[in-house]
Amino acid sequence: MRDYITEASGNIAVDDMILVKDMQATAGSHMLEGFVPLFSAEAVERLENKGYSIAGKANVGEFGLDLVGEFSYYGAAAEGENLCGGSAKLVKDGSVKAALGVDLNGAPRRSAALSGVAFMKPTYGTVSRYGVIPCACSGEQIGVYAPNMKAMQEVLSVIAGHDAKDGTSLMHETYDYDTDLEISGVKVAIIKEMLEAASEDSRAKVLAYAENLKKKGVVVEEVSFELARAAQSAWQILMAAETCNNLSRYDGVKFGYRTPNYENIDELYVGSRTEGFNLLTKQTILYGSDVLSKNRYKVCYDKSLKVRRVVADAMKAMLSSYDAVLTPVCSEMQYTAYDISDAFKNVFKESFFTAIPNLIGIPALSVGGVQLMGNHFDESLLMSLAKSVEGMGA
Amino acid sequence: MTAKELEGLMQLNELSLSDKEGADMLSLFEDMKKSEDVLTAIDTENVEVMVHVMPMTNVFREDARKQNFSRESLLAGAPEHTEDSWQVPRLVK
Repeated sequence: MRDYITEASGNIAVDDMILVKDMQATAGSHMLEGFVPLFSAEAVERLENKGYSIAGKANVGEFGLDLVGEFSYYGAAAEGENLCGGSAKLVKDGSVKAALGVDLNGAPRRSAALSGVAFMKPTYGTVSRYGVIPCACSGEQIGVYAPNMKAMQEVLSVIAGHDAKDGTSLMHETYDYDTDLEISGVKVAIIKEMLEAASEDSRAKVLAYAENLKKKGVVVEEVSFELARAAQSAWQILMAAETCNNLSRYDGVKFGYRTPNYENIDELYVGSRTEGFNLLTKQTILYGSDVLSKNRYKVCYDKSLKVRRVVADAMKAMLSSYDAVLTPVCSEMQYTAYDISDAFKNVFKESFFTAIPNLIGIPALSVGGVQLMGNHFDESLLMSLAKSVEGMGA
Repeated sequence: MTAKELEGLMQLNELSLSDKEGADMLSLFEDMKKSEDVLTAIDTENVEVMVHVMPMTNVFREDARKQNFSRESLLAGAPEHTEDSWQVPRLVK
């Protein structure tokens, strides 16, 4: 088992869901073993143009679909018995200054929480997705792992901004992120349903974080957000449907893995995909295909797109009364190895805490073992809140 | 979801599962169906679908021929290829 993959010396690690020219890109999958991209992601190019160097690719779970990278074809990243993400571990160790990750269902946020570093999933469209190995395009986003808010602000400022090569990239040329906004008097809501669903240690993290914020003059209140479960289900459906479509490109013909055992084209397709994908990926594809099927489309996929709007409106209403939202990011603060046959259910369970930002595109900052969410473009507020309590301990 | 319906989904997606994995998948479908009840409970009668969460713009470029990558470099990533094409088993006998 390899903890993570490094290929060169440098100061930024890149999750293996993001293309770096001439560096193998596997998305943690056997399907892409040996695949070497011909170009780099826009975010990577922006960093290199500013003088950063790429340390190498960090291990991820297959297509970023698992909890924290435990089901990478190349082995799980772990510290002792506890699972952790490759990039988060590199940042925690101080091996790199920061890392880029792709958040499509919360894995980087969970990894950061377990390793004691930060991960920002910025507002959808602020960072170009050009050069991301795509899965769930309508909600996935490149973000930054960093040891503190200073490094977070620095790296995020470099990679954010309009990119004409990405149709989902917003038109702002640059973003002027700030980590020193006045936070006294800022109002933060804790989502009651998520607090109740978390284990004692995860809940304690949130409550301790809230106490630290209060010491800085932040007003913290518990509120109900009854749509949290609906957001989780809607994102599961949309994420699976989009993953099903995006992974249809892997057929063993144009690139990636090809089974050695075939006699005709059908055997080539089925053998390559069956051997190239792990069970979690196959289950996600099949569930995605089911929710897109004629009989289920209206009640699942179409319904989820409507629920997305309902959740977005409700969150907008909440964020008109509060400036930010504080929640657990994981149900537990430690994950240990488990069988892949349980992965789909486990990830779905944990996505209760992470689905909303993917579903409606708002920024989410995993820091100090908790999650801060805000309105679109409120990354500066989230980083300022986090910076104000850095070093205060839980 | 029946075993036959699952078989259809697998065919559609060019995938195969073992008998045990297939049985687990059927059970998973049942669990997920129950989890979807929370969506059914929400009244979306007059709600428009939200495909994109942020405003989208079309990406246009000049209608001009442009060679991004050489054929050789594109074929380099293929599992099997001839001098100038991807190689697949014979389709027409």
